[in-house]
Amino acid sequence: MSTIAQVLAEASQPIHPPPTSFWRRYVFSTDHKVIARQFLWAGLLFLLLGGTLAMLIRWQWAFPYRPVPALGRLLFGSSGGVIGPATYQHLFTTHGLVMIFFAVTPVLIGCFGNFLIPLMIGARDMAFPRLNMYSLWTFLLSQLLVLASFLTDLGSAGAGWTTFPPLSTNVGMPGLGQTLVVAAIFVTGVSSTMGAINYVTTVIRMRAPGMGYLRLPLTVWGLWLTAILNALFVPVLGSAALLLLLDRNFGTQFFIAGASAVRGGGDPILFQHLFWIFGHPEVYILILPAWGILGDVLAIFARKPHHWYKGTVWAMVLVTVLSAMVYGHHMFVTGMSPLLGEGFMLFTLLISAPSMVVVLNWVATLWRGSLRFDTPMLFALATVFVFGVGGLTGLFLADISMDLYLHDTMFVVGHFHFTMAAASFIGAMTGVYFWFPKLFGRSLDERLGRAHFWFTFVGITAVFAGQLVVGWAGQQRRLFDPFQYTFIQGLRGLNQWTSYAAFALFAGQFLFVWNFFKTLFGKAAPAGANPWEATTLEWTETSSPPPFHNFDRIPEVVRGPHELSNPEVRRLTGRDYAGQAEVLPGGGEPGRAAAGV
Amino acid sequence: MTAPRVGRTAIALAVSLVGSAATLAALAGGAAWAAPLPEPGYGLPRDVSVDGHRIDHLLYFTLGAITVVFAVVAALLVWSLARHNREHPALYSHGNGRSIAVVVGAVAALLVGVDGYLFVHTLGDMRSTFWNFPRAEAAEGAVRIEVNAHQWSWDARYPGADGKFGTPDDVVTLDDVRVPVGVPVVVQLASTDVIHSMYLPNFRVKQDAVPGTVTRLTFRAKVPGEYEIACAQHCGANHYKMRGVLTVLAPQAFREWLAEAGEDARRAYDPEDAEAHWGWEWRTEP
Amino acid sequence: MLGATLGRGAASGLPAPDVPDLKAYRLRPSEEEVTSYVGMVIFLGSWAMMFAALFFAYAVVRVRAPGWPPPDQPPLPILLPGLNTAVIAASSAAVAFAVRAHALGRHRRAARALGLGAGLGALFLALQAVVWAGLWRDGFLPSGGPYPSAFYALTAFHALHVLVGLAALGVLAIRAPSPRGLSRSAVRLWGMFWHFVGAVWGALYVALYLL
Repeated sequence: MSTIAQVLAEASQPIHPPPTSFWRRYVFSTDHKVIARQFLWAGLLFLLLGGTLAMLIRWQWAFPYRPVPALGRLLFGSSGGVIGPATYQHLFTTHGLVMIFFAVTPVLIGCFGNFLIPLMIGARDMAFPRLNMYSLWTFLLSQLLVLASFLTDLGSAGAGWTTFPPLSTNVGMPGLGQTLVVAAIFVTGVSSTMGAINYVTTVIRMRAPGMGYLRLPLTVWGLWLTAILNALFVPVLGSAALLLLLDRNFGTQFFIAGASAVRGGGDPILFQHLFWIFGHPEVYILILPAWGILGDVLAIFARKPHHWYKGTVWAMVLVTVLSAMVYGHHMFVTGMSPLLGEGFMLFTLLISAPSMVVVLNWVATLWRGSLRFDTPMLFALATVFVFGVGGLTGLFLADISMDLYLHDTMFVVGHFHFTMAAASFIGAMTGVYFWFPKLFGRSLDERLGRAHFWFTFVGITAVFAGQLVVGWAGQQRRLFDPFQYTFIQGLRGLNQWTSYAAFALFAGQFLFVWNFFKTLFGKAAPAGANPWEATTLEWTETSSPPPFHNFDRIPEVVRGPHELSNPEVRRLTGRDYAGQAEVLPGGGEPGRAAAGV
Repeated sequence: MTAPRVGRTAIALAVSLVGSAATLAALAGGAAWAAPLPEPGYGLPRDVSVDGHRIDHLLYFTLGAITVVFAVVAALLVWSLARHNREHPALYSHGNGRSIAVVVGAVAALLVGVDGYLFVHTLGDMRSTFWNFPRAEAAEGAVRIEVNAHQWSWDARYPGADGKFGTPDDVVTLDDVRVPVGVPVVVQLASTDVIHSMYLPNFRVKQDAVPGTVTRLTFRAKVPGEYEIACAQHCGANHYKMRGVLTVLAPQAFREWLAEAGEDARRAYDPEDAEAHWGWEWRTEP
Repeated sequence: MLGATLGRGAASGLPAPDVPDLKAYRLRPSEEEVTSYVGMVIFLGSWAMMFAALFFAYAVVRVRAPGWPPPDQPPLPILLPGLNTAVIAASSAAVAFAVRAHALGRHRRAARALGLGAGLGALFLALQAVVWAGLWRDGFLPSGGPYPSAFYALTAFHALHVLVGLAALGVLAIRAPSPRGLSRSAVRLWGMFWHFVGAVWGALYVALYLL
């Protein structure tokens, strides 16, 4: 019963036999599902590293000059387990870089992008499977460079994750460590660009018959827009990293000024322009996939179509476009021209509109639904909450006069942790719990998942709220010992309590680690093809985990992504959902008309 | 899943939502617990400037606005979580004209009411005060200071009696800036090594010091006393120690101090000491 | 509509319908080829952003500098790089010719054109090396401030791309003569890359040497 469109799609994506050798199957695989799992492992491992670094920073803020228990002797043996000011700057620098580039990016984009894009659009693999493999191995190389930087004489990078010169040049950070980390940023940029080219092309070219753009699951929209941003702006970061490397190693003078400059030198602010032209889209690069995941997960667990799908799509597109025009709000206090500053403020305030549309659509999706509180749903709801806090606190920082006071304080740290760390991380966890059955064929334990959820949600909210409160009181970020300042001394208790919350949050993550391994290697029962009664192709058209070629037959899509609780579908099938490619008995195709709404 | 468990989850979610909202609201309440001196600890640091209240006003306005928005959305969410559970039959709707109008209307109202308010006020504040350097400099009795930030201290330079920078009577201090009460202070900032950021928490202002350029900062002090100069931009291992003291003096006391320090500087002037001559001609254009 | 769809699927093994213009029919890309072109266009767009950022950096340091070139530094030569612009343009033309010849199945001719393109590319690098060596001898070093910094960074980064393209053209030229040695898209895609590198040089020449 294949249609012509299906025959043609099959013809251009024939089924290849799976590779048989161990290396081609599990190591140098070109299968997007294997690569996705590899990204997941690499990302989770570095998440643990980044988390450990965060704990050391929190220890420092709670108990400066006191030896770190257990880990201290091992890591900082020469100082008796105490973190010194030089070590401290390596800690917060690598914490930021590891979390952004080497932990959240591979999980959200590397893993979910790879795994979900072909499965959700009904393709047999990525457009360029070999490029996909190169992207992974380039990424692993960049991770290796970061690890190597820890072993160098003067320690790893220490100029902050933003790597502002001249501090990040030899003027401020001599030594191989900083060079290796800047090189790692460049290399991971190359990897991201390769991935992005693949994702963008795949969505343009490989959609199954009937899968119009306005039938794409929101997850794919999020990942696709992310890939577009990556393709456009990661190369800009690449340029900045390249010029910085030249300044560090070949004596050029792009970013060096002041006493070390030759013939006037270059411009340190130039780097900030290049960095934030990339850096602000990067914030959306990390949040758009989470928005997309939320759009689908909330609908499926509310058993209700996503509210105003088109509105969410256009809002996400608008955010993508605007994201490149707001970066100047990171530079309000660098002495930028007032007119430019005012323009950036205007765009920054405007970008709140599409973001609010997205959030209100989530709330409207839940409204009058039939909510199921499984673990993915709990994480999704928590993401709505933390993103709400993160987004709303951004209002303070969009505004020049408030930024005069709040810039570079812990308030900024709290704000971007609520968005980039909390919302992206909990959003990623939503995805992990939701797609784990599809990734590995088994469902994660619900009870452990719930426990993990409460630790994560309460912990993250407490930690980052603590940061907001101390920032509001004026505490700057990146202070080795904040209590040097008398105006911060009253915040000692709050800093300590925030650290206790962070320790609890970190400890709670081991529930997930345990759950992960227990499910993977224990005796969990197979999850079945569609345990969540979801509607998108990866659940309805293939098994868990999918075979090497994804779909025995390339599906023909007949409706939008969230055909839930349609009374006509219930009458025909007795179920409250209809898959995107499901042909219902009786030949009618309910939801077809509604697909574009 | 049984009904009571659904209820429990929803209630637990509700409690944590409300709890966190309360934490955020505590931000606003913080100022009320403030003891006069030293710093209150929680809440904004004491505002000792003439213009800081403009920023504080926007801070409290925004805090109020987002608390209301957050509370309303959280209330809707909690209601939905508690009432629209598994037992509640889902409404089949992709959204209709009315529900979309509610979303768009709410967003438009916030955009105009909150974002618009912020934009207009900030434009006024920046243009009239915080970034209006010509007006500050033209004011009667305005004080001009050059600050050279470097790892890890603040060198300040006053023009002395002749009103010119780079002359023998320049008063140079280290991590010690003194200003009179009531008149505009204009600071020109430079750096010799890496980027620093001069941050005066009690005056609500901040400005980066960037190597290769001169940037500017202006404020007016209201209350005499000693306050802190902080570095807000990571500038190396000892960033945390880059702390200076800003002393606000009564106008007469400031004049006396400056005259006396100028005399001392003139006597101690050493034309051979190139290190000490870091000042620059005052920039009238940035 | 259906005919057009079937025609495009011809490369996937479906029967070829009657087509009046055989040449145009042969040049028509298959579905996979279109996908690879789309990917290449996105890649080049992405890479163009990288060069755009470099040009932006160049513009900023130049605008900030008190004089350009600084009074105590030599002006850059114009003639030799100008000749080089002609060389790389000719190379691009040769490659464009090769792409078309290969698509029409004239493999030997394609191989010769590719070889010519690669040779001209090598000449470009050689002339560039002469320019660098001359300036270097005059004491014009990367560490001499923003002016030489920008010059060396941009030209060297571009030369690196020429080198990559050159290696690819060399391999293509060797493998092109045998009828099954190369896929059509390999030649076409590297051709696109080569034109891109040439276009970047044009912009570089104008921005660095002429302006």
